[in-house]
Amino acid sequence: MAPGAAMQRRASRLSVLAAVLWPLQAALVAYALGGLLAGVPIPAVPVALAYVALGAVRSFLTVLGDAQSQAAAETVIHAARGHIVLEEARRAADGPFGGAGGVAALASEKLDLLAPFITRYAPARARVMVIPAVILALAFWHSWAVGLVLVISGPLIPVFMALVGMAAKEASQRQLVEIGDLNDLLIERLSALADIRLLGASKVVRDRFATQAKDVQRRTMAVLRVAFLSSTVLELFAAIGVAMVAVYVGFSLLGAIEFGAWGGLTPQSGIFLLLLAPEFYQPLRDLSAAWHDKAAADAVLEEYSTWEAQETTCLLGRGGASLPMRGGAEISLRGCVLPNGDTLHNIEVSAGESVALMGPSGAGKTSALRLMAGLMSPDTGQVRVAGQGLSADTADSWRARVGWMPQSPHFLNASLRENVRMGREGDVSEALKQAAVDEVVARLPHGLHTRLGETGGGLSGGEARRLTLARAIFGAPDVILADEPTADLDAVTAHAVTEGLLAQVARGATLVVATHDPTLAARMDRVIEVGEAR
Amino acid sequence: MKALWQIFRRILREQRVSLIRGAFLGFVVLAMGAALLGLSGWFITAAAAAGLAGTGAIFDVFRPSAMVRFLALGRAAARYGERVLTHDATLRALQSLRLQLMEGLMAAPYHRITRLRGAQALNRLTADVDALDGVSLRLVLPVLAGVSGQVVAFFVLWWLVGLPMAAWIFIGFVAGSGVTFWRTARKTVPLSRRAEAAGQALRARLIDLIRARRDLAVYGRLQDQVETTLEAENRRLALRRQQDRAERRAGGALQMLGVLVSAGALGLGLSMAQSGTLAPSFAALAFFTTLSLAETIAPLRRAASDLGRMTEAARRVARDVAVPPPMLQGTAMMHGGPLRIQSVTLNRGVSAVPMIEHLSLAVMPGETVALTGPSGVGKSTLLLAVAGLHPVAKGRIMIGDTPVLDCEEAVLRKVVTLLPQRSALMTGSVADALRLAAPDSDDETLWQVLEAVQLASVMRARQGLETPIGVRGDALSGGESRRLALARAMLRRPAVLLLDEPTEGLDDTTAMRVLDGVRGFLPHTAILIAAHREAEVEFSERIVPLM
Repeated sequence: MAPGAAMQRRASRLSVLAAVLWPLQAALVAYALGGLLAGVPIPAVPVALAYVALGAVRSFLTVLGDAQSQAAAETVIHAARGHIVLEEARRAADGPFGGAGGVAALASEKLDLLAPFITRYAPARARVMVIPAVILALAFWHSWAVGLVLVISGPLIPVFMALVGMAAKEASQRQLVEIGDLNDLLIERLSALADIRLLGASKVVRDRFATQAKDVQRRTMAVLRVAFLSSTVLELFAAIGVAMVAVYVGFSLLGAIEFGAWGGLTPQSGIFLLLLAPEFYQPLRDLSAAWHDKAAADAVLEEYSTWEAQETTCLLGRGGASLPMRGGAEISLRGCVLPNGDTLHNIEVSAGESVALMGPSGAGKTSALRLMAGLMSPDTGQVRVAGQGLSADTADSWRARVGWMPQSPHFLNASLRENVRMGREGDVSEALKQAAVDEVVARLPHGLHTRLGETGGGLSGGEARRLTLARAIFGAPDVILADEPTADLDAVTAHAVTEGLLAQVARGATLVVATHDPTLAARMDRVIEVGEAR
Repeated sequence: MKALWQIFRRILREQRVSLIRGAFLGFVVLAMGAALLGLSGWFITAAAAAGLAGTGAIFDVFRPSAMVRFLALGRAAARYGERVLTHDATLRALQSLRLQLMEGLMAAPYHRITRLRGAQALNRLTADVDALDGVSLRLVLPVLAGVSGQVVAFFVLWWLVGLPMAAWIFIGFVAGSGVTFWRTARKTVPLSRRAEAAGQALRARLIDLIRARRDLAVYGRLQDQVETTLEAENRRLALRRQQDRAERRAGGALQMLGVLVSAGALGLGLSMAQSGTLAPSFAALAFFTTLSLAETIAPLRRAASDLGRMTEAARRVARDVAVPPPMLQGTAMMHGGPLRIQSVTLNRGVSAVPMIEHLSLAVMPGETVALTGPSGVGKSTLLLAVAGLHPVAKGRIMIGDTPVLDCEEAVLRKVVTLLPQRSALMTGSVADALRLAAPDSDDETLWQVLEAVQLASVMRARQGLETPIGVRGDALSGGESRRLALARAMLRRPAVLLLDEPTEGLDDTTAMRVLDGVRGFLPHTAILIAAHREAEVEFSERIVPLM
C-alpha cells in the first residue's frame, strides 16, 4: 500500500519515540522514591512537574503519531475506494469477482477493516523492534540477573506469539466466515419473510434458525477460546517475568541475595527496574492484541487483489455526455470476433431500417447489440457507425444518438422521472404514453415522483419493461437498440411494446431488436440470423 | 441514547448471569492489576527501607512475595475467564437479538416486510446487529468494571494511605474521564450519523453505477455517476477525519489525565513522607496503584468514538425488534366455507384515499373467480385484505360464518393462503421448499403437487425432490420458481386460495395446464385470482372487473 507508506513510517517512529520516554519518567520516580528512603530531601513539586512535563511530551508524541497513522489509514482506504469506483466505471461488465453487491461490500465496509490494522498493528510492530531491546540494555546495565530474567522469558514470547498468531488468524478467519454465513442465513430468511408468513411457517423457520444460530455460536466460541487461551499464556509469561523481577529486587534490597547486580542494588535502581519490567512485555502484548486486525486486513487485501486481478472487457469511450455525431444512422459489423472466440456474421443496417436479430440463445445477439452501442469492443473486426469507425473517441458522441432497452432493467435509486430522463431535459409524458405506461404511472401514489430502486418501487415486471422503453424513446433518438423487448411479457403488454417501437421507426429512427419472438420479428423490415460465421 | 439503553437492557435480560459474572471478572482483573503493582511498589520500597535500616532479617518477605505471585497468576486467569464469559454472553445475546429481529419483523405490517426485500436494507440491518456487539464488550462492561475498580481503590487507599490521596485519585480519574467521555461523545455522535449517511450514499451510488453501468454509458451519465459517487466518498472522508481527530484528542486527554493524576499522587506522597505522616513504602504504593488505575480509563477512548455508530445502529434495530401488537387478535374459530366480501371499501396504502368502494362478491367452495382490471386498480390490495394483511375501511370480509379480522393469524392462515405477485425461495431442495408449507407431507403428495403445476417431469430429469434450487431459488428459471411457489401454496390445501397473477412468465399452453392442475389438486377450494392474462380469465368461471 504505497500511498500512506511515508505517513506510516512517521507514525511508527513517533510511537517508538513516545514509548522510549517512559524510562526517563521511571528514572525520575526511582530518583524521588530512592531519595526518600535515603533521607535525601526531594523537592516534591518540581519532581511532580517534571513528571507531568515528560508525560505531556509523551502524550503529545502519541497524538502526533496517531494523527499520522489515522491519516495513513484514510489515505490508503480512500485511494483504494476511488480506484474501485473509477475502475468499475471503465469496465463493460461484471467480472468473475461478483456483481454490484460484492463490490459494494468490498468498497464500503470491508476496506474499513484496513484502518485498525494500519493504526494499531504497524506502530505496535515498530515498538516490538525497539523497546524490548532498549529496556533489556538498561536492565543489564543495572543488574545482570534482571536482564537474564527478561532474556529468558523474552524469546519464549515470540514462540507463543507465533502460536497465538496462528490460532488467532484461524479463529478470526473461521469466525468471519461463519458470522458471514449466519448473516446470509438471516438475510435469506428476512427476504422470504412475506412468504414464510403467508404459508404459516413462521414458527418452523424461527426454530430452525435458532438451532443453526446456536450451532454457529458454539463453534465460534470454541475457536475464540483457543485464541484467548494462547494470549493468556503470553500474558502469564509477562506476569511471571514481572513477579520474578519484583521478588529478586525485593530480596536483593533486603540483603538476602548478594548476587546479580554489579556490586549491590541501590533502592533507586530497584524501583527503576520494577517500573521498566512491564514495559518490556507491553509492545509484545500490543502486537498480539493487534493480530486480529492483521488477520482481518489480510483477508480484505486478498479479496481486493482478487477483484483487481480479474480481467474484464472495457467500455469504449468514457460514458460521458457528448454532442451527437453527424451522419446517417447506419450500422455495420464486419468480421467481429467476440471474447469467447466466436466470429459474428457481418451485419449491415441502413438508416431508418428496422431489423430483428434472431438465433439460438448464446449465438451472440446481445453481444451484437452491445458492439453497436460501443458497450464492448470486438477482439478483431470492425464496427462502423454513421460512416465512421466506432472507437474510444467516437463512442460517446455516437451513443448520444442511441436509445437503449436492456433485457433486465435496473432502476437508479432516484425518482421515476429521473429514471426516464437520465439527465436529459424535457417532459416525459409523451414517452410514457408511447410506451403505454402513462396510466400505470398516473395510478402510483407518488406518480412521477415515485422513488424507484433495486426493488422497482412496486412495479410489476411488464410495467418495468415498458418504463425502460419510455426511457429508450425519450428525446427521440435516431437509433434504438432493444434486447428481447417482449420476452416474458403477456400478449397485451408485448403488443403495446411492439407498437411503441414501431412508432419510432415510423418517425424515421433505425431500430435493431434482438429477439426470440417470431411475432415481433415479423413486424420488422428484415430478419438477420445471428450465429457464428463459418 | 434511549435506543442504546433499550438494546442493552435486552442483552442484559438475555444474558444477565454471564454478563454479571463477566463484569465481576473484569473488575477482578483491574483490581488484581492495581493490587499487583501497588503491592510490588510497596514491597520493594519497604524491603529497601528494611535493608537500609538493617532490619532485613526480620522483614517478612514470604507473604508479600507469595501474594505477588498469586496476583500475577490470578490476574491472567481472571482475564481469560472474563474474555470467554463476556464474548460468549455477547455472541449469545446477538444471536437472540437476530432471532428477536426475525420475530419482530414476522409480526410487522405487511407493507414493511415487502419493502425489506432489497438486499441493501437487509445488509444494513445485519450490519447494525454486528455493530451492537460493542454495546456490552466495549461500552457497558468496561465502564462498569472501571467504575467499581475506582470505588474499591478509593476505599482501600483511604484505609492504607489516607483520605486526601484517595480522594485526589478517585475524583481525578472519575471526573476527568467523565468529562472527556461526555465531550467526545457529544462531538462524535452527530458526526457518526452524518458519516453513516455518507457511507450509505456511497454504497447506493456505487451499486447503481455497477448495476446500471451500460444504461448510464448509453445515456452519457456514467461520468456524472462516478462524480456523485466520489462526492459521497469525499464527504465521508471529511467526516471521518473529524471523527479521527475527536478520537485522537480523547486518547491524548485520557493519557494526559493518567499522567496528571499519577504526578499528583507522586508529589502528594513525597511531601507526606517528608513531613513524616506517611511511610515511604506507602507513598510508593499509592503511586504504583495510580499507574495501574490508568488502565481503567483507557477503554473509554474506543467507547466514546464508537458511541455514535452504536447509537445509530441501536435506533434502527430497536424499531424492528419490538414485536408490534398483532393486527389480528381475535379468538374466533374458522372452519372454511364460502368467501363473502360484503360492501367493502379499501384505502390505498395507509392513506385515507379510497381505492375500492363498496365492493361485494362471493366465491363458493369449488368456484373460481377472476378479478380483472388495469394494474394499480386494487386487485392485489383486495387479496391482501382477504388474507387479513390490509385494513378494511368499511364493510366486512367473511369466510364461512367468521369475519377474517376476528380470528388470530395462525387460525386464518390454516384457512386462507395467498400467493403474492413476487415470491421468494430459500436455499435447499425442492422438497425443503415444499415442506415449508406442509412439513408432514409425504413424497407421494409432493410429486402429486409437482405434477399439478407441470414441474414433475422437469424435476425428474434433474435430481427429483432432492434437486437443489440454489440461493434464493437462483438455480430455477423464472417460470419454474413461479410454479414451485404456486405448488407450495397449494400444499396448504386451504379452503380459500388467493392467487395474484399466478401464471406470470408462463406460455399460454403451460399456464392453462397449470391452472387445470390447481383445480384438480384442490377440487373444493374457493379460488380468487387477480388475473392479468387471457389464460387466467378464461379458466375462471366468473369475472369481476374492477374499475
